Parts: sequence; structure tokens; C-alpha cells
Amino acid sequence: MNFDQARFSRDDHYEPLLSEKDSTTVEVDDDGVLPDDLTRDELTLPGLSEPQLARHYTRLSQMNYSVELGPYPLGSCTMKYNPSFTEDVAADPNAAVHPDRSDRTIQGTLGLLHDLQEQLAEIGGMDAVTLQPPAGAAGEFTGILIAKAYHEARGDDRSEIIIPASAHGTNFASAALAGYDVVELPSDEDGRVDIEALDAAISEETAALMLTNPNTLGLFERDILEISEMVHDAGGLLYYDGANFNALLGRARPGDMGFDIMHYNVHKTFATPHGGGGPGAGPVGVVEELAEYLPSPMVQETAAGYELTEPESSIGKVHGFGGNWLVLVKAYAYIARLGDSGLSDASAKAVLNANYLASQLDLEVPYGPFHHEFAATSGDRDAADVAKRMLDYGVHPPTTKWPELVSQAMLTEPTEVEDKASLDDLAHAFNAAYADSDEALETAPTKTSARRIDQVSAARNPRLSWQALGDDE
Amino acid sequence: MTAGNGRRDGSPYAPHTDADEAAMLDAVGVESAESLFDIPEDVRFDGEFGIDATDERDLRESIANLFARNEELTEFLGRGHHAHYVPALVDDLSRRSEFLTSYTQYQPEIAQGFLQALFEYQSMLVELTGLPVANCSMYDAATALAEAALLANRLRRGASGHRVLVPEHLQEGRLGVLENYLDGADMEIGNYPMDDGAVDLDALSDLVDDETVMVYAESPTVRGVIEENLSEIGDLAHENDALFCLGSDVVALALLEEPASVGADVVVGEADALGLGTSYGMGLGIFATREKFLRQVPGRLVGASEDAEDMRAFTLTLQTREQHIRKERATSNICTNQAWVALRTAMHIAWLGPDRLVNLATRAVTDARDLAARLDDISGLQAPVYDRHHFREFVVHTDQPAPAIANDLAGRGFAVHTLDDHHLQVCITDVNADAADRLVAAFEEVA
Amino acid sequence: MFEIPDDRKYLESHEWTTTDGDTVKIGISDFAQDELGDVVFVELPDEGDEITAGDEFGVVESIKAVSDLYAPISGTVVAVNEDLFDAPELVNEDPYGDGWMLELEPSSSDEFDDLLSPEEYREQTE
Ligand SMILES: Cc1ncc(COP(=O)(O)O)c(C=O)c1O
Repeated sequence: MNFDQARFSRDDHYEPLLSEKDSTTVEVDDDGVLPDDLTRDELTLPGLSEPQLARHYTRLSQMNYSVELGPYPLGSCTMKYNPSFTEDVAADPNAAVHPDRSDRTIQGTLGLLHDLQEQLAEIGGMDAVTLQPPAGAAGEFTGILIAKAYHEARGDDRSEIIIPASAHGTNFASAALAGYDVVELPSDEDGRVDIEALDAAISEETAALMLTNPNTLGLFERDILEISEMVHDAGGLLYYDGANFNALLGRARPGDMGFDIMHYNVHKTFATPHGGGGPGAGPVGVVEELAEYLPSPMVQETAAGYELTEPESSIGKVHGFGGNWLVLVKAYAYIARLGDSGLSDASAKAVLNANYLASQLDLEVPYGPFHHEFAATSGDRDAADVAKRMLDYGVHPPTTKWPELVSQAMLTEPTEVEDKASLDDLAHAFNAAYADSDEALETAPTKTSARRIDQVSAARNPRLSWQALGDDE
Repeated sequence: MTAGNGRRDGSPYAPHTDADEAAMLDAVGVESAESLFDIPEDVRFDGEFGIDATDERDLRESIANLFARNEELTEFLGRGHHAHYVPALVDDLSRRSEFLTSYTQYQPEIAQGFLQALFEYQSMLVELTGLPVANCSMYDAATALAEAALLANRLRRGASGHRVLVPEHLQEGRLGVLENYLDGADMEIGNYPMDDGAVDLDALSDLVDDETVMVYAESPTVRGVIEENLSEIGDLAHENDALFCLGSDVVALALLEEPASVGADVVVGEADALGLGTSYGMGLGIFATREKFLRQVPGRLVGASEDAEDMRAFTLTLQTREQHIRKERATSNICTNQAWVALRTAMHIAWLGPDRLVNLATRAVTDARDLAARLDDISGLQAPVYDRHHFREFVVHTDQPAPAIANDLAGRGFAVHTLDDHHLQVCITDVNADAADRLVAAFEEVA
Repeated sequence: MFEIPDDRKYLESHEWTTTDGDTVKIGISDFAQDELGDVVFVELPDEGDEITAGDEFGVVESIKAVSDLYAPISGTVVAVNEDLFDAPELVNEDPYGDGWMLELEPSSSDEFDDLLSPEEYREQTE
């Protein structure tokens, strides 16, 4: 497939900044609405008309790749198609209510939240779910706070969280944010949890083990029941990072594997759009014993209707209000659209797609059997360069150089939404880039709006606003 | 079984035809997709969730019916979640799939559009706050405040104490989130009292000491009061080597004193008042700070650079602060943020332009003043309770029990906040201002 | 092959020291700068700060990596290479010269014995 990304350029820049199109300074509050010393003197912002803005943002949109333009196989990110109708559902004006409304006047909103709590609990094999955390990392933090509250309530002061080296960076950061020391666990030679190392790492200081399953190489932790027993015997809890849950829908549930706490990543598994980096949502599920620690409020169904309630020993709040409502609505709509059979089929096709794609690649995939994603290696070619070259084929490249267990890793997750033809295009892009000359790799990309961007200069000389550009040029 | 939307079971968004599926299985060398799952028997799930697949049309109808159960009340609500009229342009352009369905800009060459929009958002926040560094979003004001406190604590590692001082009047969610984020850093929260709805400077001055790492104040406060002594608060903080963190919101920043000019070291708050509309509290956390704290900033930053053809181009930068590189030593655990909301907010700010933005902010003062005066004229009500300038909202004292009045107002189609037995809070913006006459009439009946 | 000058001693974590009269200079090795890639930021202690052998005294960052700097010996910081704040690339261009980081007044002379000789360090990097 031939590809040329849209490219609007002029002189030494692409589409001009809003501030380059107009910069208007207005005097503030010369009518004396407030005493002078309470107001700013002036404000300078672009003052453009609506047609000018429409053109500006449409041009910017054309200089942006998205999953509706082509495959986006970023490993661990689950870039699925986001069903259009979910946007319309979320835009329902009746759903636009303020969080401080009294319960009885927003029974529709609470009803949806309640059903989503229940459905997620069922899908994950958990007993209770909070929808408040606004992203996966916030879910992790919430989950670890719950673990902490649980241990503290038992007078059990524990200081460590064990995390496999292959885990996502947020796991480490969330554990540290909650005040824990992180014990990093090496992988065994098969790419899974090293049971001996785990045994050595577990102690009476272990508050929890955080695991992603399948892990970030797409491998199922086959010893999960043994792992669960080891952690539980030592009095620790088992935490499930739900980023890779798209691999297991309808076939295995974290609750059945011995996990006590999990987060769901609805902007991955349940197809809500990533919006260029967010918003997402990271609901957290727990087993019965931990339900009393969930954040407040929860939605409960009573004879009188739906009510917000505070769990008995709640950890309190993890978001100012109820989390990312619009995202939750879209996830609800997606789950209801697919139902049992659709969810389970999504996983089957996601796993089939990953395996088919891998079978078409000239790159080696050192670890398996994998599920919805795999870590190929570009061997002696720089994975970041291969990725840049892939852009020229009109596809988004995979996640590169992570997890570190695989050298020159290209962590690839096509998701269920690609058809065979698209996977063939993707495989072609991989193979052609991988086989290309050093020069082609180093000068790539050449078909994108911008050419290779100098990361070093961006970091050595940070220019983080249009105001800062003026200083410099 | 047929593929696509015609299929009766399976995901409507998995496009495989039977023939393709067979060819793919063949290439992989397995009989069925099922055999690719390497899940031990003892953890297999063979139950059902009990969720029926639903047709798109039926589903839209059933969700619409569900939402129709929400009572149609005209909301005079604020307290940290504000709505202004969002122009159609914002919905239209932000919903373009190139924006909506893109991921974080890990490959900047193919994501210039979103990066530029976020760079523009950061720049708007720089203008509004007067501070040179603004990140491209936190989840909401509450988490932004918590991150500011953690930043202050990192900077003051050697301090004898680790206390953050916050106002007595603080939205419950913000306080709750702050408590949770500070727990892990062994920090504590101190409360300073308000005097007639604004910071009690004497009391604050007694409380700030060398154990204080940050003083937090808001303008407008959660009760709508415009703070008059921001510079003095900043001085008190700085005299004690503490940071001064100012909480505000994106509209108020266009009118009120520029944070940098009153000595704010960090500005946090909500930007969702523009671009998002009422959304059950979904937020967009502002985080802006001084250049010298750049390496301590949480979250993502977009910077300008050059590409191989020496053209100006944008990229995520200074990523070594973030969790994927620094892991447990990152400045924050945030990864996915609120980028798309930031895009919408930037669009809305651009649509307003400086004139209309300042007008909108000015109206937030005059409309609140006018409405308070009209309520004050009603016997049984006193408004505003605080003899201060207000922004969008104010507290009303009721002679009769406030919960009953709120209830009666709901019966007449209005939602207001109930603070306690004799206090309500009312918030007015351009989206409910045309209902102000009816609200006043309703108050006359029920007060 | 990476340059490993014979006139200095090394730490397993890739810092070097040279003695110059009463003071010692500290930097990172050629190998270390190459592993890191383009250095974009260096954080160093202030003059007058005390540092302790084996402890972290600063940070060096490239685009995709962060590395702590460990003190080879204990002492008082008498000079900091402020050029690195504006030109961190000096660490890449001249790690043993203009890319130096700190000058210390050592608090004891014993600690030098614990450092690696150039040969020992060479073995380690091979
Ligand atoms: C394995 C894994 N865990 C956690 C996260 C963090 O989730 P979020 O970005 O929603 O905070 C991610 C995604 O980026 C991930 O891939």
C-alpha cells in the first residue's frame, strides 16, 4: 500500500500555530466590575473566527494517525476500533448531569453505573467493583491502597510490593506512590515468573504481588495457582493488572485464578477511544473480603432505587468526583453490544490475529506460546529505526524496546479488529522495513507529515510553549 | 455464519470471513483459535456472564430510556464541576476520528496534529497562569493538587516536616484525594480557617512554619469567593520556604490576578469548565509551574524541536521523569491522561478568543452578584452569605431548613447544592442564566 | 573499543576519578556515555556539599535512560562543572576531559584502594 500523510507546510514550519495566525491582547476589566487589584491587566490569546479554527483543527487532524486510518498494533495498548454509536450514546443530553445531584433525581445515571459495576465484576470474577479510578495507573494506585488498608486493619504492617521486571512502569510507580518499596522479580528463561525467585522474594513484608496475565510478552502465567498460593500463604495479596485482559475474555477470570484485586483497563479491553492519550478509566474489582475498603461512593440497588453509599472502611476518594463518566458510558455500551458471545469472540480473534501476524513475519519471536500480543525481535537492527521505517508503509509500528527481556523488542498487538488483508499489509510493512538498508532505516520516515524528529534537541533545550519559541528564534 | 454486521454471534467488530479465518488458522498450523489459548484447565472459565448481545439500534434505545429516568432539572450547580456552553465546533472537530481514535504520540512524526494541539493547549495555560511550564493534563483538579503537594515534598526532602496547609473550605473530593496521595509519602494535611469565606491570614500565619512544604489556596474558592490576599498568602508561604500552590479554573484565570504575579509556584485546578460541559464530574486537571521545577513536573509535556528537514516539529519530551523510564522513582504514576479533553478545552478557548473569554469570566462575577442580590431580596434568604466578591457561585442562608427548600426547588425543576441545615449554594453560568428568573420565582414560593 | 585512560581509577558503576594535588576529579567513563546515548541533562550537588563513597551524588539523563551517579570516594565538593548544565553533550564528546563532573576534597585516602584499576575496569566492560 502506498501512503503519504497530509503535510501542510510553510517556510520552516508545518501548519502555523494558532498564535502565529493571530495574537490579540485585550485589556481586562476596564469596566470596574472588580477592584483593580483583583484582576489581571491584560490577556493575550489568538482571536480567530470559527471558519479559521475549523480549518486549523481539520488540518491538524489530517496530520494525525489513528486507528480508523489503519492498524495500530502497539503492544499492551489494545488499539481496537471504537464503535461509533458509543459516542452518540455518551452524548445523550439526559446523561449530562452534575455529580452533586441527589440520587433520586439521577436514577438513570446511577442505574448504568450500577449495571457496569455488576457486569465488570462478573467478567473479572470479582465480587465488587469501583468505577472511580480515571485510568489504569489510577486503578493500580487504588488497588494498592485497598491492599494497604486491608493489612493495616489487621495490624499487619507490610512494606513491600513484588513486581516482575517485565511489568509496565506504572506498576512500580503506583506501588511507590502508595509508599511501598518495590521488589523487582526477574523472569525465568521461559519469560514467565521465576518461581524460585518469587519464593525468595516473598516474606512477611510482602503486601502484594502485582501481575499482568498474560504477561507483557503475551504469555499466560501457567503457574498462577501455585503463585497465588505462595503469596497468600505468606499473608500477601495478589493484584491483577488488567491491561492484557483482552486475551482472556470468557475463557479465564482473574478472580478464579486467585487474584484478590484487579483493575480493568476499559480504554483497552472495552474499546473506548484513547483520544490521543486519554481519558481512560481504570475500574477496580476486589473479592468479597476487600469490598469494605473500596473508594466512596459505590452505587447500590435498594428497594427504593439506586443509591450512593460509602463502603464501611472505605479508603475514600481517588478522583474528585466519580471518575471519567463519558468513558464509562462507552464501555457499558460496548459490553452490552457484544454480550457474552461477542466478548469471547473478541478474545479469540485477538489471539488468532496475533498468531497469524507472527506467522507471517521474518522477525524472530523468542517467547511463546503467546496470546493477543507477542514480542518480536529485530535482532541486530535497531527496533526504533525499523519502527520509523514502518511508518512509511502507512501503518503504526508496535511498541519498541519494551519489555526489556527481549532485546530490540517489537511488542505487537494487532487486536481483533484487523482482517486478514490488513494483517498481510502489516506483515509486509514489518518485513520490508526489517530488510531495508541501514540508510533507509536511519532516514525514515519520509512519508509522514514530519521527518525524523530530533529528540535530543527537544530535551536539551526544552521549548514547551509558543511563548518559549519567541525567546529562541 | 457470516462476517461483519450480519453475523449473529461473535463480535461485530471482528471482521473475519470464514474463508479468511480458515486461511489464517492454516498459516498458524492449528485447527481452531481455541487451541491457541495456553490456559491450564484448572483456571479455565466455562460459565457465562449472562450478558446478551444487543443490536445497535435496540441498545441505543434502551440506553436512551435509561437516561430518560434522570429527572430534567435545571442545574444551578458548581462546586468544582462547572459547565459553560460548548460550541458545536468543539464536538464536531474533536470527534474527528483522527483525534479521537489515536493513541499517545509515541511516534511523533505521524502524530504532529495532536502534538501541536497539545502544545497549543500548554501555551494557553502558560498565558493564563503566567507560569512558563504547563503539562498537557492531569486527571482532574483533585489529583493535580495532590501531585503539586508531592512535588513540593520532593523539593523539600530535607525539611523537618512534611505538612501541606489547605483551606477549611475545600471540595470534599479534593481533600479526599489529597489524603490518599499524601499517605504514601508520610505527609500530613493541616487545615487553616476561613474568615468570612476567604483565607484568615492571621490564622494562616500562625500555622505556617518550617514543617510546611506547601500552602494551598483557591480563588475562586469552592464557595465561589474571590480571594483578595493572594500575594500575602504567597509571601507567608515563601517566608517559610514553602511553595505556594494556587487552585483556580480556566475561566477565572482569564479575569483574576495572574497567578505568577501573586507568587504562585504551582497552579492547579479544573479546565473542564471549557470544552467538556456537564459530565458527572469528569475533569481536566491543570498543572503549571515555574521553570526551575521542570524536572519535577508530573505527566506528559509536549515540546518543540526540529525534524530532519529542519522544520519545526513537536514531540513528547523530558520523558525520563515518567514512569515508563524511571519506574518507582518517576515524578508520578500517571500514564493515560486527559489529552482529548485538553484538545477540546483548547478548541473552546480558541473559539472564544480573548475578548469573549474575558467577557464570559466577567459575567461570572456580575451574574452571580445580580442573582445573589435578587435572592437576598426574598424574605427568608440572605445572599451572599460572605461579604466578598464572587465568581459564578455563592452561598445562601435560609431561615427555613435548607434541605427542604432544595427539595421543593427540585419539585419545581431546579437543582442547587445543600451545604447544611441552613445553607444552600447556587451557581450561575451562561448555560442556566436564562432560567434565573424562574429560579428566583421558585425561591419566592419555597423560601 | 572504549577508551579507558591509565591515569585514573574506576568504579564498577562506571565513574572515574583522577587525583590532582589535594583534590580529585570525578566523571563517567567512555563506556558509560556510550551506553547512555546522547546526554541531555546532568544533575550535580552544590559546592560545599558532603558526599559519601557509594552513595548517589547526582543523575545523568539521556532521552530514554536515567542513571544515578555514585561517589567513588567521600569528601567535600569544591567545584562543579557548570558547563554541563548548558552543554550536557560534553559528557558524550569528552567524558574524560571537558565532560568532568565534580571536584572533591577527599575526607580520607583509604577509599582509593577500593577502586578498580584501569585493567580491572577494562575486564569488567569486556
Ligand atoms: C501493562 C500495562 N499496565 C498498566 C498500564 C497503565 O494504564 P493507563 O495508561 O490506563 O494508566 C498500561 C498502559 O499504558 C499497560 O500497558
